[in-house]
Amino acid sequence: MKQLLALAVFAALPASALANAVVGQPAPAFTEKDLSGKTVSLADYKGKVVVVEWNNPNCPFVEKHYTKSGNLPALQKKYGQDVVWLAVNSTNPSHQDYMSNEKLSGYMKANNAAPAAYLVDADGSMGRAYGAKTTPHMYVIDRDGKLLYNGAIDDKRGTNPDEIKTAKNYVVSALGELKDGKPVSTPTSAPYGCSVKY
Amino acid sequence: MFRRLPTILAAQFLCAVALAAPVKTPHVEAELIAERTAFEPGRTATVALRLKIADHWHTYWKNPGDSGLPTRIKWTLPESVGAGEIQWPHPGKLPLGPLMNYGYSGEVLHLVEIATPATLRPGDTLPLKARAEWLVCKDVCIPESAELELVLTAGADNGQPDPRWADAFRQAREALPAPLANWSAEAGLNGRDLTIRLQPPAGTRAPASSLTFFPERENLVEAAAPQLLTRDGEGYRLAVKLMEPVPQDLGAITGVLVADRDWPGLASRKAVQVSAKVGGALPPAKANADAELGGSLLLALVFALVGGAILNLMPCVFPVLGIKVMGFIEHAHGERRLRRMQGLLFAAGVLVSFWVLAGVMLALRAGGAQLGWGFQRQSPAFVACLAALFFVLALNLLGVFEMGLRVQSLAGNVSVRNMRFDAFSSGVLACLVATPCTAPFMGAAVGFTLAQPAWASVLVFTALAIGMALPVVLLSYFPHALALLPRPGKWMETFKQAMAFPLLATVIWLAWVLGAQAGNDAVLALFAGLLLIGIAAWIYGRWAHSGSLWRQAAPALLAVAGLAVAWPTHLVAPGAIAAPRAGELPWQPWSREKVAELRAKGAPVFVDFTAAWCITCQVNKRLALNDAAVVKRFAELGVTPLKADWTNMDPKITEALAEFGRNAVPVYVLYSADKNAAPKLLPEVLTSSIVLDELNRLPKASVAVANPVTR
Repeated sequence: MKQLLALAVFAALPASALANAVVGQPAPAFTEKDLSGKTVSLADYKGKVVVVEWNNPNCPFVEKHYTKSGNLPALQKKYGQDVVWLAVNSTNPSHQDYMSNEKLSGYMKANNAAPAAYLVDADGSMGRAYGAKTTPHMYVIDRDGKLLYNGAIDDKRGTNPDEIKTAKNYVVSALGELKDGKPVSTPTSAPYGCSVKY
Repeated sequence: MFRRLPTILAAQFLCAVALAAPVKTPHVEAELIAERTAFEPGRTATVALRLKIADHWHTYWKNPGDSGLPTRIKWTLPESVGAGEIQWPHPGKLPLGPLMNYGYSGEVLHLVEIATPATLRPGDTLPLKARAEWLVCKDVCIPESAELELVLTAGADNGQPDPRWADAFRQAREALPAPLANWSAEAGLNGRDLTIRLQPPAGTRAPASSLTFFPERENLVEAAAPQLLTRDGEGYRLAVKLMEPVPQDLGAITGVLVADRDWPGLASRKAVQVSAKVGGALPPAKANADAELGGSLLLALVFALVGGAILNLMPCVFPVLGIKVMGFIEHAHGERRLRRMQGLLFAAGVLVSFWVLAGVMLALRAGGAQLGWGFQRQSPAFVACLAALFFVLALNLLGVFEMGLRVQSLAGNVSVRNMRFDAFSSGVLACLVATPCTAPFMGAAVGFTLAQPAWASVLVFTALAIGMALPVVLLSYFPHALALLPRPGKWMETFKQAMAFPLLATVIWLAWVLGAQAGNDAVLALFAGLLLIGIAAWIYGRWAHSGSLWRQAAPALLAVAGLAVAWPTHLVAPGAIAAPRAGELPWQPWSREKVAELRAKGAPVFVDFTAAWCITCQVNKRLALNDAAVVKRFAELGVTPLKADWTNMDPKITEALAEFGRNAVPVYVLYSADKNAAPKLLPEVLTSSIVLDELNRLPKASVAVANPVTR
């Protein structure tokens, strides 16, 4: 009996409550408030390409692409005309990485960041629906609301900003291929970074 | 943010230089160490990057899991010296809310082989320089690095093991995944479900009762999903959930398997390297002939047999058993052959019912539906019908009406055909009413079948049926046991009437279950329906034999009307938990996230998988869980009680039960404060002392949590 039970208890229960946004399928719908309190839904952007970026300014991997290089703010500006760039923060308010809307606004401004909206997903619902695991974790959604890319920002998995110069940026290449009407060559990759602080 | 920025910056640029001394970063002490006091030129020398990680912080394995970064070493070496890859000790699981990481805490050695030049002479030195980079995380992540140096000395031979590090190197080598010689490994892929099958060489037995698979490839396995271990002959099957989308090019899966004990023939080695070719779904698992091994089919069959027999003693079967035993007494004056045949027919009724149940269960399982023992109870309509059935049976026993068959039976004039039908149908009835009763062994046995191929499930159900029918069959074969029962007589009518009251008690219980499922109005409707059915039974009993067609039809119409009135039409939303009353545990609703969240905080958690229709659950709650001493101890130890209410079908709870190998309630699970410790399952029948013992067995650390964590 005991052995049978021991066998039955095969794992602890921290099981995943994360869904996973799957490339080729419709991107999970969401409705979140942005830093100014405005409500933003995926449905608002039908007909537009949407880039979703998971963000937490206290994460060294995010710092690599913000304070240390200006990489992500530059991309947000560069693609600002063509795509809707959404930054999302799913940090739990009880976590020490949590920042008030005011502080987040200040951070974005200080880094010349210009996403179309910065969504505050304090309950983690959007993050769980997308299966966002790390900061940064990047998603690209096509005009029909279908997911085109899910994964890392680039192929240099580290915190050293010098790596950005030689890195292959998966989001940039997906957007380029989309523009040229080609299929996305790397539709998924393993995201890297700090864990999302659910 | 800003309060932490200086720390991060300091850490980022903290690159001290070590000569012999370890480098201390804010969360790690790092150094390069050599295994032996000297090296033999031209051969390899083993060195290690030793990280001593601050308490509660961790670094990462080569596949860090859902987030994180593996530790890296960048060597600066003299010409003609080469450094091998890091030899990674097996990692541990590091759960983090809904995410799972693979990594290390405490002290970890990353072994590296250094190829030395043959040109050196004894006494020459070989300076090694390395920049080590790691990500160290707790709630937050800090990238740290260190510039390290180590000077190796050439000798005539490779000297002695360095006594300072001998233990550390020995432990590091034991933690390296060993090759699993002579075992066969294959994997079957079915959608997102990957099953790794491991078979030992002949004569070897696989003794582990827990296995964890750590995949080498990133973004492949759902790291936080539970992995299900089952037996396959002398080997194992480990079911692993893959992430979506499953890669098209998955030709093989490689990784590390960590067991809870040493692998056969590999002393002190709990981790092995596996590489399994991935093919289509695997053939059914082989039964294990060795009853000593946990999870073997034979063991499950024995449990099922015993569980089935115990079912006879369950309150919801006993009244029916009473009726059956009464039947025996009635017929005891008849032929022995008839009596035996009756016993066997009863057994046949039980068997057929269980097979039907097994068939339905398999069909639903095949259809992807989640099914559990006692699921019928989750349909309010079934509950209402059962209440009506029991009510009618009670009225019958009380003599309000008598069925023709019963009258004849009592007169000892029963036709053989009717008697056969009677025996068979009472077997069926016994099964029908047994479904909500989970005898202590049965939960595990049926849970076992969920992970088994169809034929094994059918076997287990057959064993359950045989176990259940056995006492009755034995009575029919050994009349001397019957002789122990009182002689037939007037007392029989008294006994029959008395048997009505357990049935009426069951009706009360069913009404209460219905109330929990469908609310007060449903109970009112049920009683109104029962009233109509009662009137119908009375009319039937009083006038049915007068011959008029109308007098036959009226009770039937009334009974149908009664059923229609009693039929519940809507459900109440489950999950609402009444405010805790004084002297009861402060229950909170269960959810997977809640458990993960509490465990991440290091809070001990107690989960009560329960349902309103489960009598054992209610008894346990009253007698054990709400015991004053238990309630007090829960508060002292800061154990958070969570209630998973399965009264109405909740697929999330069904899934969680399946993960414990169960599909019936009650199940009691106690998680200690130690995040990595496996949860403890408590017995299905609780006493306050069992609960107190388990609580007192919690690791000391959890005592420090003063109050239940609530949020």
